[in-house]
Amino acid sequence: MMKKILVLMIFCSLFITTKSYAQQESYMSLQYSVSFGTGDLGDYISAASWRGALLEYRSAVKGKLMVGVDLGWNVFYEKKDYDTYSVGTESLSGIQYRYQNAVPILVAADYLILSSESLVKPYVGLGIGTIYNERSTDMGMYRWKENPWQFALKGELGLLYELSYRSSVKFAAKYYNGFKSNSLDGQSYFSLNLGMAWVL
Amino acid sequence: MKKKFIFYLSIIVLMGSCYPNGADYYEELDIVYTDYDDEFDFASLGTYSIPDQIVKITGELLEGEDPEFVKEPQNSQMLAKIESNMTALGWTKTEDPAEADLVLFPAVWTNTTIYYWYDYWCWYYPYYCGWGWGYPSVSSYTTGTFVMTLVVDGDNYIDPARVWTGAVNGLLSGSYNVTRVNNAIDQAFKQSPYLKTN
Repeated sequence: MMKKILVLMIFCSLFITTKSYAQQESYMSLQYSVSFGTGDLGDYISAASWRGALLEYRSAVKGKLMVGVDLGWNVFYEKKDYDTYSVGTESLSGIQYRYQNAVPILVAADYLILSSESLVKPYVGLGIGTIYNERSTDMGMYRWKENPWQFALKGELGLLYELSYRSSVKFAAKYYNGFKSNSLDGQSYFSLNLGMAWVL
Repeated sequence: MKKKFIFYLSIIVLMGSCYPNGADYYEELDIVYTDYDDEFDFASLGTYSIPDQIVKITGELLEGEDPEFVKEPQNSQMLAKIESNMTALGWTKTEDPAEADLVLFPAVWTNTTIYYWYDYWCWYYPYYCGWGWGYPSVSSYTTGTFVMTLVVDGDNYIDPARVWTGAVNGLLSGSYNVTRVNNAIDQAFKQSPYLKTN
C-alpha cells in the first residue's frame, strides 16, 4: 500500500508544479512517515508505526529562515498476546488490540544550514502546537478510549535534495513531545519521513 | 489546483484503507474477569456445593415460574470443568448446600446488539435521515456471558455474601465450542490462586 503512495507522489510531482524550486518562496511537502513510540506511548505500543503521512507548508521569511505549518497523522497499532491485567482484586484476561492515532498540528520554523541556492539543503527545525491523540484499547467486546489534546513541541533535522528546478526530495527525522494532559501522560514519538516538496 | 486536490485526497483515502483491523476469530474476543473479597479466608475452608444445572437468565422471573437451564451435554461438560478446577484447588464437593462452606452458583445469559447503520448518514444527506430506509440492512451480534459466583453464609453473615466472581464473556458463533468454554473456565480459576484451600 505504501509503495502506491510513493509512486503516486513521484508521479504527481512531475505535473503539479509550475515554478522553479530555486526561487523557494514557498513550498508544499507531502511525506510518508514511519514512527516509533517513546516513553508512555512506547510502553503502550512497542511496534513501529508504518502508517503515517505528513503535510507541510513552508514560506521563506528572511534569509535562510522558513516558517509554516505541519499537519501529520500517525497510526500506531499492536495486537498484544493473551495476558492477564490486574487492578486491586480484579483481574481481566484476554487479547488486547491497542490503537493510537497521533495528529500533530504545529507551527514550524526551519533554518537552512547551507545556502538556499545549493543542491542539498540540510536544515534544522522546531515546531510548537498541539497533538491530538486518540487511544483505544479493545478487549473482548469492550473498548476503552481516551482522546486528549496535548501541548506539543517538535525538534527536527532534515535535508532537501533538489531533483529539478521544480521539485525536491525531502528527508527528515523528527521528535514529537506531547505534554501530560488530564487523562494521559505525555505522548512522544520519533519519526522518519521521506517525501516530495514542490514549489508553489 | 484540481490535480493537487485529487492527489492529496487520494493519499488520505489510501491511508484510511490501510487502517489496522482487530480480531479475526471468535475466540480472540473471549475475556475472563474475576474479582474476590480480599478479607475472606478461603484457605481455612474446604467444602462447597454446586447445583447440577446451570441457570439461563432470560429476564425477570415471575413468581412460580421455573427458570430455564442450559441443555445437555453442554451443562454437564461445563459443570465437570468447574468441579475439576475446584478439586485441583483442594475443595471437596458436598451435595447439601446447607452443610457446605461455600455455594457456587453458575449462570449464563446472552445479549444481542443491533446496529442501525443508516443513522450514520444524516450528515451526508439529511433527507435520508430517520426514514428507516436502511432498516432491513442491520447487522447484529450476540454475546454470551457465563458467570460463576461463590457465596458464603452462616452465623457471621446477615445475608449470603458473594466472595468470588468469575465471568466469561465472548462472541457467540452459533455453535457450541467446548474448547473455548473449557479454556475460559480454566483461565478463571488459573487467575484466582487465592481460592486454594488447605
